[in-house]
Amino acid sequence: MLLEVGGLVKRYKTKDRQIVEAVRGIRFTLSAGTILAFLGPNGAGKTTTIKMIAGLVRPDDGDVTVEGHSLSGRSGQALRHLGAVLEGSRNLYWRLTPLENFEYWGGIRGLSRKTARDHGRELMREFGLEDKIGSTVQQLSRGMQQQVAICAALIHSPSLLLLDEPTLGLDLDASDRIQDYVLRLAHERGVGILLTTHQMEVAQTLADRISIIQSGVLTLEGFKEDVLARFTGSSYVFELAEAPSAEARILADNLGAAWTSECEFRVVLDRPTDVYEIMRALEPCSVVRVMRETADLATVFREHTRKSVSMESVREVTA
Amino acid sequence: MLHALRAEWRREWVQLRRYPTELLSELAVIVLVFYGLFLGGSYMAGGAILGGRLSDIIVGYALWTLSMMSIGTMGWTISNEAQNGTLEQVFMSPYGASLILLLRNMANVVIGLLFTILTLFSVMAITGHYLFVSPWDMVPGLLMIASATGLGYLVASVTILMKRSQQFLNLLQFILLFLIMAPTANLGGAWRWLAIMAPFSPVVALLRSMMTQGSALFGAGDWLLWSVVNAVLWLLIGLLVFGWAQKKARRRGNLSHY
Ligand SMILES: Nc1ncnc2c1ncn2[C@@H]1O[C@H](COP(=O)(O)OP(=O)(O)OP(=O)(O)O)[C@@H](O)[C@H]1O
Ligand SMILES: [Mg+2]
Repeated sequence: MLLEVGGLVKRYKTKDRQIVEAVRGIRFTLSAGTILAFLGPNGAGKTTTIKMIAGLVRPDDGDVTVEGHSLSGRSGQALRHLGAVLEGSRNLYWRLTPLENFEYWGGIRGLSRKTARDHGRELMREFGLEDKIGSTVQQLSRGMQQQVAICAALIHSPSLLLLDEPTLGLDLDASDRIQDYVLRLAHERGVGILLTTHQMEVAQTLADRISIIQSGVLTLEGFKEDVLARFTGSSYVFELAEAPSAEARILADNLGAAWTSECEFRVVLDRPTDVYEIMRALEPCSVVRVMRETADLATVFREHTRKSVSMESVREVTA
Repeated sequence: MLHALRAEWRREWVQLRRYPTELLSELAVIVLVFYGLFLGGSYMAGGAILGGRLSDIIVGYALWTLSMMSIGTMGWTISNEAQNGTLEQVFMSPYGASLILLLRNMANVVIGLLFTILTLFSVMAITGHYLFVSPWDMVPGLLMIASATGLGYLVASVTILMKRSQQFLNLLQFILLFLIMAPTANLGGAWRWLAIMAPFSPVVALLRSMMTQGSALFGAGDWLLWSVVNAVLWLLIGLLVFGWAQKKARRRGNLSHY
């Protein structure tokens, strides 16, 4: 197995001496050629998990192995097989050109200058950036910088790539290029990719598998198709004649409505007959159209997190 | 590992070339200081150069600046790269951060040494005063830089844990200056251990005996031996402390700024 994450636990001590349980016993595996999208609300523990896999944060418990090499033992072997683009970091020297960056990052991973240069050129060509190879990174657009950062993380041909919010703040074009590339990297070259994102459409395009993490616990795990199928057939779009009253809106919200405009919302219903309950709740505002639709990942995510959060608050109340 | 050393070397070199104004201003300072030392030296000697003394001053100054560079580089690298967002990538090197920092320090020292030699020669050419510096002077110089590298790891440890190190660096420089000025070599009894164990002390005693008494490298009593022991000791202390500091920062999850 390419990546095995076993029972990771991480508690941080904050400055005011409180304990934050960022990750509470996460385990999963990732095989070669697979893209795993790691989803979860802010502060759920995604970055912490990624950094534990990259050896940058030391877990309180559990272990990570990459290609069979444990990270807590001789981590050098595990690190040789791993590349990462971290969240909110530059990941590159801005004063150097992409090519000089590749030489450096390749060099400190044991590559000769020539190997690093040749491979770097090839990677840049695949992104269509070969004419930018000689300008300093500082001069490149944000989207290009992110693409170069991905090239640098791949310079030593790792079999595992970690991407923490790789398309955050990028325009459509840059985001599309990165997504295309990630797909090819996994499905044509067999690289295993673990990525986090808050952009559900990105996850839906890329992922083979989906994991949802909430408050440091994996609450959902599975193949994308299975995850989507769980909710398919129970997602409905309501179109209203006019904007409803504030009270009606609150009633609909309580049933899980996600408003896409003033007069339209999407909702997941456990039973088809609940459609009538919603219509009653909206009275006197009349419903023009009700559509049953196939669920997308955004709906699944919203539904799933809403449910498990309310389950959690129930647990807290009863405890 | 050789590839990593070359990579560090190239990175330093490229940055120097790319920002020539920074390079020039640094060079200008070195040239000015050396020029001043030369002029001052010849003035004090009443025109007739006190050859030996002047070269001592120059060698001493060059060693001091190179050592200070070794002490400061690693800490500076860490705080700078934490801000720039490249530190974590450096820490993901399979060679480990301690080794990468060491290589970076070596690249820096070599470049610093090149510049020093270069300016020394140009200043000698300008003033017409030629100094003789024995190649054997390099040995204590290297030992001094090895100790300085050990202290550099200590500064790096403070930086990685506290996210700042300027006060510690200042304090350290002050202590070192004191150790260099103080005649620790003459201490007897239990104090002699201080002269052997304190950073820089034995190597300064060695240098002093080589310079003022003109003794050869191997003729200065046990000071050469103690200098080697001292350099290894401080390098080891530095490495151990840095290893511990790294572990602690990884446990806290704040390798880069949080
Ligand atoms: N070094 C640290 N010290 C203390 N607390 C931390 C540290 N790093 C993260 N945390 C806390 O741990 C929790 C998990 O953070 P993490 O960054 O892993 O979340 P995330 O899922 O990546 O969130 P986001 O979607 O916002 O990026 C948060 O409550 C965060 O405040
Ligand atoms: Mg995050």
